[in-house]
Amino acid sequence: MKLFKKITFSALAAVFAVTASFAGGASAAGSLSGKITVNGSTALLPLTLQAAKEFQRMNPKVRIAASGKGSVTGPQAVKKGIADIGACDWDASMDVPGFKAFSGQVANKVAVIPFATIVNKNVGVDNLTTEQLRGIYSGKITNWKQVGGADADIVVITRAFGSGTRVNYQAKALAGGDIVKKEKNYKETGSSGDMKTAVATTPNAIGYIDLVYVSGDVKAVKYNGVAATTENVINGSYKIWAYGYYMTKGQPTGAVKAFIDYVQSKKFQQGSLKKLKFIPISAMK
Amino acid sequence: MVQPTYDSTPAVNGSLHIKGDTGRRHLRHLLANTFARYYFLFSILALCLVLALVIVFIGKTAMLLLGQISLADFFLSFNWTPEEDKFGAAAFIINTLSLTALTLLISVPVSIGMAVLTAEIAPIWLKRFIRPILDLLVGIPSIVYGYLGLTVLLPMLRRASGESLGDGLLAAALVLALMVLPTIARISDDAITAVPGKYRDAAYALGSTRLQVILRVVLPAAGRGILAAVILGMTRAIGETMAVVMVIGNTPQLAKTLFTPASVLTSNIVMQISNVEFDSTWNYALHMMAFLLLLISFLLILVIRFLGRKRRER
Repeated sequence: MKLFKKITFSALAAVFAVTASFAGGASAAGSLSGKITVNGSTALLPLTLQAAKEFQRMNPKVRIAASGKGSVTGPQAVKKGIADIGACDWDASMDVPGFKAFSGQVANKVAVIPFATIVNKNVGVDNLTTEQLRGIYSGKITNWKQVGGADADIVVITRAFGSGTRVNYQAKALAGGDIVKKEKNYKETGSSGDMKTAVATTPNAIGYIDLVYVSGDVKAVKYNGVAATTENVINGSYKIWAYGYYMTKGQPTGAVKAFIDYVQSKKFQQGSLKKLKFIPISAMK
Repeated sequence: MVQPTYDSTPAVNGSLHIKGDTGRRHLRHLLANTFARYYFLFSILALCLVLALVIVFIGKTAMLLLGQISLADFFLSFNWTPEEDKFGAAAFIINTLSLTALTLLISVPVSIGMAVLTAEIAPIWLKRFIRPILDLLVGIPSIVYGYLGLTVLLPMLRRASGESLGDGLLAAALVLALMVLPTIARISDDAITAVPGKYRDAAYALGSTRLQVILRVVLPAAGRGILAAVILGMTRAIGETMAVVMVIGNTPQLAKTLFTPASVLTSNIVMQISNVEFDSTWNYALHMMAFLLLLISFLLILVIRFLGRKRRER
């Protein structure tokens, strides 16, 4: 018992010592203070959370609260004054199909998000062209046979209207083409996770998802003969990608500006952002 | 504070000792009673306030729809394409009602059978085994049921039916039936157990068989309790969202077959609410659907309460 107490005590002492040294080191670093609220895209949420953790360690007086819902909630929350930063998968200061521009907002590029077309593992097709994808999603092509696969109905899985992934996929991969609404083999899912599960468990299914979510249980197909990899995005041959934005009301100032600067800094872009499998914005220039 | 030991029987002492300790005790009880009464009153008023706020806030936003599109369009049109300003919710309303009906059709006979088994037939060791299991099933989060539906039930349905998707009313009803089953079974079980033993004894004394006792005596006597169980199951089925979203297909069209990918009020709201702008007709239409959901479950509860009372009076 006595030994146990001793160990606990020394462990606690060690923890205190470490914490104190960290706090001491950090307080010297930054003099910024304030509260930053980030709202919006779930795709960008892991990036925001990681950046917030690192930024708060350097600036202990800054509190960052981040939450994710749909992309459009980001600029909306900024417009209503609920959030300082609205994370959005498209440039919300300009019109996109289905959504009007949010006037007076500034789009700050923070990351590059690649998207991939995925199919169930039983599908034999490895490559799809823009025209073939447009045909599949508009309901003109309904059998895998028509695009060089086995004789089986195509099951189209898509995200709900207004999803940032859908907005970008429709604009880039389908070149603005329609997505069919009412068919027998057509299903909508609510999130990237549901999309992946649905495609992985439904034979003959096709869907689309952020490249970072792609893993062994689904197959990413080539687009116009180009494989969906970060290298191909960077060298310009793979076209289905978009910038992720932090929307702010006017030009950012104070702690908000410092936070965005940190996310855009070389240290974060080349370090944690890459580790999270996003692509640094500087790579696209 | 000194507590006298003899004042536990003040009535025996009569009027001689009313003063002093007994009087103080009386005052204390009076205060405690008054306090408790106000506390309970406050609790129920707080609940009513919250309920009223929910109705008012959802209703207020929902009413904004009135100026935007005609109610006939909303209730009678089957065309829900918000991006083209078409807000017809008829398909969702019909799908919600048929999904609830189908769920009850599957779950009520099974769960009442289970209740009869646990309450009347099973030996004690089996009861002790079944009841905690049913309680556990109630506590499982609905998203788990949804995930199991997506990964286990849908492939099974695909194999059985030859459909290539499998999503639709049948899949959703099966998942929901599993979810409401323990609720209905456990509450019916309590209702059946509460039927006095003398009813059974009398029926057996008249020469009834066990089946006759259960069907003709016990179940009618427990009728109101079972009805309450069905109501609770039904409200859970109508309002359930997360599990339904994962297996129903989320396509805004009328479910003409059991395997048509469809959408109900709850699933459509949760799929779209995070992607619409605050001050848009679309947002008001979704709030109107939520308000409608509130009204539908309220109405169904009233109808079934009314039916229950009628049967009791007869």
